[in-house]
Amino acid sequence: MIEMLSYDFMQRAFIAGIFIAILASISGTFIVLRRYSLMSETLAHASLVGVAVGLVAGYNPLWMAVIVAILSSWLIEYLRSHFSLYSDAILSIILSGSLAIAIIIVSMGGSFNNSLFSYLFGSILSVSDQDVITIMTFGTISLGFLLLFSKELYFISYDEEVAKTSGIKVDFLNFLLVSVVAIIIALSIQVVGSLLIGALMVIPTVSALQFRVGFRNTMLISLFFALFSVILGMSISYYFSIPSGATIVLLIIFIFIISLVVNKK
Amino acid sequence: MQVRFKVPIFDVKNLFFTVREQKILSNISFEIYSGEYVAVIGPNGGGKTTLIRMLLGLEKQTSGTIKIFGRTIKNFKEWNKIGYVPQRASLVDENFPATVEDIVKMGRIAKRGIFRSSSEEDARYIKDAMLKMDILDLKDKMVGVLSGGQRQRVMIARALASVPEILILDEPNTGVDIVSQNRFYALLAKLNKEDNITIVFITHDIGVIADDINRLFTINQKATICNNPKETLSCEEVTELYGRESHLISNHKHEHIL
Repeated sequence: MIEMLSYDFMQRAFIAGIFIAILASISGTFIVLRRYSLMSETLAHASLVGVAVGLVAGYNPLWMAVIVAILSSWLIEYLRSHFSLYSDAILSIILSGSLAIAIIIVSMGGSFNNSLFSYLFGSILSVSDQDVITIMTFGTISLGFLLLFSKELYFISYDEEVAKTSGIKVDFLNFLLVSVVAIIIALSIQVVGSLLIGALMVIPTVSALQFRVGFRNTMLISLFFALFSVILGMSISYYFSIPSGATIVLLIIFIFIISLVVNKK
Repeated sequence: MQVRFKVPIFDVKNLFFTVREQKILSNISFEIYSGEYVAVIGPNGGGKTTLIRMLLGLEKQTSGTIKIFGRTIKNFKEWNKIGYVPQRASLVDENFPATVEDIVKMGRIAKRGIFRSSSEEDARYIKDAMLKMDILDLKDKMVGVLSGGQRQRVMIARALASVPEILILDEPNTGVDIVSQNRFYALLAKLNKEDNITIVFITHDIGVIADDINRLFTINQKATICNNPKETLSCEEVTELYGRESHLISNHKHEHIL
């Protein structure tokens, strides 16, 4: 463990990974309870468009991913509230549409395929100092928002209409929640990969829900599962030279199965 | 003796609600005063829930005005004065991670404001609400394991925690047994008489609460207001209201519309 942490790139990966585990699991609690699970997948694919634009045009891919993910989250909320379309259908259209755009942009760039590969599946080696600063800055702001409004978001997750009638600004908070989730997803794709980030957001919470405890404890269990999977996953990834994102996700799924069996009705 | 109350909580005038050229509500006007207990009845699809949703700002009327505590609904901001218990109150998602206390605490969130953490006052109101609804001993239980009647009391405790002046309940009896229902009606009467909470209650069980209510609103696109509910409705009026031959039947002291 100490030997592993003597490398700069592993230190960066651990800092980024721990931050992302905290962000993904806490935002994931609201995402799951609001039935927005598919949204995390859609925004992860939408951020790939930002990555592709960044790689081809020479901008920071992480920043571009954040911008495109936020714009996509607003588009989803707009379509959801202004048109009579099924929510999951909107998400499915944007998911496949943004993946198609990303593929076309990357194919025009030709030589950027290897870089894109690390954003698809996650690569701890590719996390730079600048990335760590970006993740910590945006991550702290996002976490601050989630904690500040956690009670309101919890109420909205339980019953949106009653929350609205009690005077909570539901539309504004929904809009902020999807924006924050978009930021967190875009920040996470470098470590976990856009194809796998949805798992880090959703599965720790779904596992924690099996324990049938109150809101606070569900969030804490989810946080613990996410941190455990990310730290152990990155260590295994280092020692066995296997992709970090996939290792982390398999560990979370393992935890989910154990949670399911242990808490069987 | 008819009691006239001074402060109109709801002042509704010439309210119309139309969806795709179909009239749901037509020219509804009424006032609800502080301290009243109003029952709202009418056939399914007659517009009761739509009316309540408009009073709560969840639906916008096609035309007409709604004033709450003297302010137009657009300018009304003190929503925490209104406690709302929706139709699906006892049909909670069993997997939702919430203890009884978690749910009742929700009643204080809007009142608390963003930058203030829970105070002793919040804790007191939360405890009072649970005591009133007789659920204090259940506070650490997951809401998903409770019976329908217990869940119903939890939802009312949540509404009470914000110390509302008016409680609006939309048929919250689904999945609740008869004994719990009767206990629930007694609780509502007590809240109205002892705590002076104004109550607007959509129900089909008009006979059971006839002794408690001040006025009866019947809604079937139009509104008929009955100021002497103990005489309830004549069979002709019920038939007209429900659009088919209907009867009020008496079962002990309870009347039901069939």
